[in-house]
Amino acid sequence: MLLIERVLGSRLDPAISAKLHELEHQGLVDEVNLATADLARRRMRVTSRAGRDVAIQLSRAEHLFDGAVLHLDAEGAILVRVAEERWLRLTPRSIADAVALGYHAGNLHWRVRFEGEALLVGLEAPVDDYLERLGDLVTERRVIPAVVASAEAA
Amino acid sequence: MVALGPGPQGSSQDGVGAAARIGIGGPVGCGKTALIERLIPLLQARGVDFAVVTNDLVTKEDAERLRRSGLIDPARVAAVEAGACPHTVIREDPTLNIAAGDELEARFPGLELILFESGGDNLASTFSLDLVDWWVFVIDVAGGGDIPRKRGPGVIRSDLLVVNKVDLAHHVGVDLEAMLGEARGVRAGRPVLATNARTGEGVDALVEAIVHAVLFTR
Repeated sequence: MLLIERVLGSRLDPAISAKLHELEHQGLVDEVNLATADLARRRMRVTSRAGRDVAIQLSRAEHLFDGAVLHLDAEGAILVRVAEERWLRLTPRSIADAVALGYHAGNLHWRVRFEGEALLVGLEAPVDDYLERLGDLVTERRVIPAVVASAEAA
Repeated sequence: MVALGPGPQGSSQDGVGAAARIGIGGPVGCGKTALIERLIPLLQARGVDFAVVTNDLVTKEDAERLRRSGLIDPARVAAVEAGACPHTVIREDPTLNIAAGDELEARFPGLELILFESGGDNLASTFSLDLVDWWVFVIDVAGGGDIPRKRGPGVIRSDLLVVNKVDLAHHVGVDLEAMLGEARGVRAGRPVLATNARTGEGVDALVEAIVHAVLFTR
């Protein structure tokens, strides 16, 4: 088990990126892949891409982020990679459908963003779990769903 | 709250914010408090320095129960009153719970673990990861063998699902193996644990899971 008690910096920090560049050439940069939601955790146990058992134990003042460097020495490095967040874009056909959609999203405590006349819902479970909850709104095509990546939803 | 000076690494956060924080949620009557009563001596036996924050609707019933239990120093049990909506204080706005945790850490330097027990809720309740690092959802056999099939967010998204009161399965006509199988089926590989808080069955494994997930070196 490799215990990580602090984030050393970002892979973009000049001092770090030069070292990472050398290690990359030798195939010595390992990664832990996390979902966006997991970035809020200060403690977790994860297996890196190369199979290392990594125990993360940060103070509550520290945060993980995409590109966070957890470990760096002459033998190798471990970085955090965050999977691209997916959003469900829900476009209502009418104001009445929008009102109903807004009610359901609030009642179900979904994490939402607004995008003009569409509602974006952060996906934390399979998309069908969300569509099933909307029932007739989706099956009668009163709300049109589409899954988009975070870059597209920005 | 006690003001803390810089810690050994020069950060004012080294005193407050060092303890692992875990959540224990689940429907009313599933056995959350009973499981915590079983966890307490096992954590003490391992030498884990811990405290508990309980959440109740409009009383401090669960906190009083733990304080009176004789199992734990009463000062190590804090109570948060959740008001009408028990999931709000563990998910939408966990400020009161975060403050209770910070206060315990200030009062007990060296604290390694804080257990947050949610108020009894429904299958939709989940913990904010701003509040806890890892969380357990507890359901019980007597609540019905079909609970896993209902795919509540608590059942599906928790880091560990505990199925408690396994001794009652034959009394309430539940096929325990089928219930556990369905629970594993809806959780996409995340773990499921069967317990009986009355006898302590399965509670060792719960301690192991906590240590593995957030305490690491114990």
